[in-house]
Amino acid sequence: MKQNTKNLTLSSLTALMGLALSASVAIAADYPAKGDFVKGAKAWADNCVRCHNLRDAKELRDDQWITTGFHMRVRGGLTGQETRDIITFLQQSN
Amino acid sequence: MKKSKKIYLAIMCSLPLMSVNSTGFAASELEQLKLDVEKLKTEVAAASEWRSQNSLMHMAGYADVGYVKSDAEGDDGSYNVGTFAPIFHYQFRDQVMLEAELEISTAEDGSTETAMEYLTIDWILNDNMILVAGRFLSPVGNFRQNLHPSWINKLPSAPPGFGHDGAAPVSDMGVQLRGGFHIGGMKANYAVYTANGPEVKAEIAPDAGDNTAIDEIEYDGVDAEAFGADGDGEKVFGGRFGILPVPSLEIAVSFVSGKATVTSFEGDEFTGTNPGLGGIAASNYDVTGMDVSWRNKSFDVRYEYVRSELGETNIGGFGLASAEWTTWYGQVTYKIPSSKFEAVVRYADFDTPHASADVQQTAVGLNYLITNNFIAKLGFESNDNPNAGQQAYDRALVQLAYGF
Repeated sequence: MKQNTKNLTLSSLTALMGLALSASVAIAADYPAKGDFVKGAKAWADNCVRCHNLRDAKELRDDQWITTGFHMRVRGGLTGQETRDIITFLQQSN
Repeated sequence: MKKSKKIYLAIMCSLPLMSVNSTGFAASELEQLKLDVEKLKTEVAAASEWRSQNSLMHMAGYADVGYVKSDAEGDDGSYNVGTFAPIFHYQFRDQVMLEAELEISTAEDGSTETAMEYLTIDWILNDNMILVAGRFLSPVGNFRQNLHPSWINKLPSAPPGFGHDGAAPVSDMGVQLRGGFHIGGMKANYAVYTANGPEVKAEIAPDAGDNTAIDEIEYDGVDAEAFGADGDGEKVFGGRFGILPVPSLEIAVSFVSGKATVTSFEGDEFTGTNPGLGGIAASNYDVTGMDVSWRNKSFDVRYEYVRSELGETNIGGFGLASAEWTTWYGQVTYKIPSSKFEAVVRYADFDTPHASADVQQTAVGLNYLITNNFIAKLGFESNDNPNAGQQAYDRALVQLAYGF
């Protein structure tokens, strides 16, 4: 069963996406704590392919790898340390 | 000192100040340019919704378009837009993340359908535990929570029973604890939750000679998608536990337990007065599942099994027998070496209390990885329904899927 949201118009969706895109600027965050590059490379190779093809580190900026890393931590059951290691590896490889 | 010599010395002394580099710009101009760039950077940063680095936002997601042609009479094939599914991430430092995925699709009549796939606030409690609250994808099994996005799913369709209205729960509304940890030399992950749970539909079969009289009442189906209110007041409890003896192998078990109540009647053959929804006893609702995945450089092998069961109940003096929905699939993907092609084969068996809805499906596919997140798929499904003794339609599917 698909629950439709009739009152959510396309224009409001477009505005929402536009807001998300316009606000996407590079920010140098001081978190999470720096991880281990080498362990991150291994954790990236071991965990990401459990579900999907590996994504190139150069696809995203440093700040985008933070949000992506945390999203994948929730999805993939990663530990906090694994997440920090993977983010460090991707940020230093992009 | 002669005047000419003074001029020569003055020129020589001023040269360093007037020097130009290989770009043709004077040092002073380059310095000004650096200042301008720094100023521009500051202005760009200020254009963000937040001027603080404490908050981040990012949009990810996926979309797919395709073509489907079945061997049903009169089906000449149709181009379609499967789904556009933007995922919004908002994060405050490493403490909390808000995740929301919309599912936007075009219906057969051309109208746009929008649904909330999930919306959760994820509170990072420690290195091994996250509190996930809101509408979340069901942690039962692996397909619904991790493999259903079209750029990840190796075939253009979901295995029977793992889509909407299947045996596997889709989503729920509640609170969940999940995370990962190391145990010995192995990795493990877990998810436990409590939620509003599903609601149940029943079907009234009329008497053969009188459409206003009830012959029997039976379960029609389980709506195992997140409800914004707990209509039957019965919560469920469930979870999944996975262990990885080696990084390439994951073995997991899932369960849900609780009660669910009939909240609606289906079927238009019965034209009498239905027994009403008041006073219906809640039924036992139990789900068990298992999923295994293994891979190496070329092969990706997956198996997943889910069984949902409703216990007996009584509506208006008519007893409803227990009912179960069972589905499983096995899938092998082979990445052809030194190429961008991968071949896929999947077999699935979906059994329901209604024989006409059963499906045994064999699906094969050939994918071309244009990039790792942009995939062209060609698939063919053979759908059989021997229990109902009627023809089930085979389908050819073409799909372009893009993850971003």
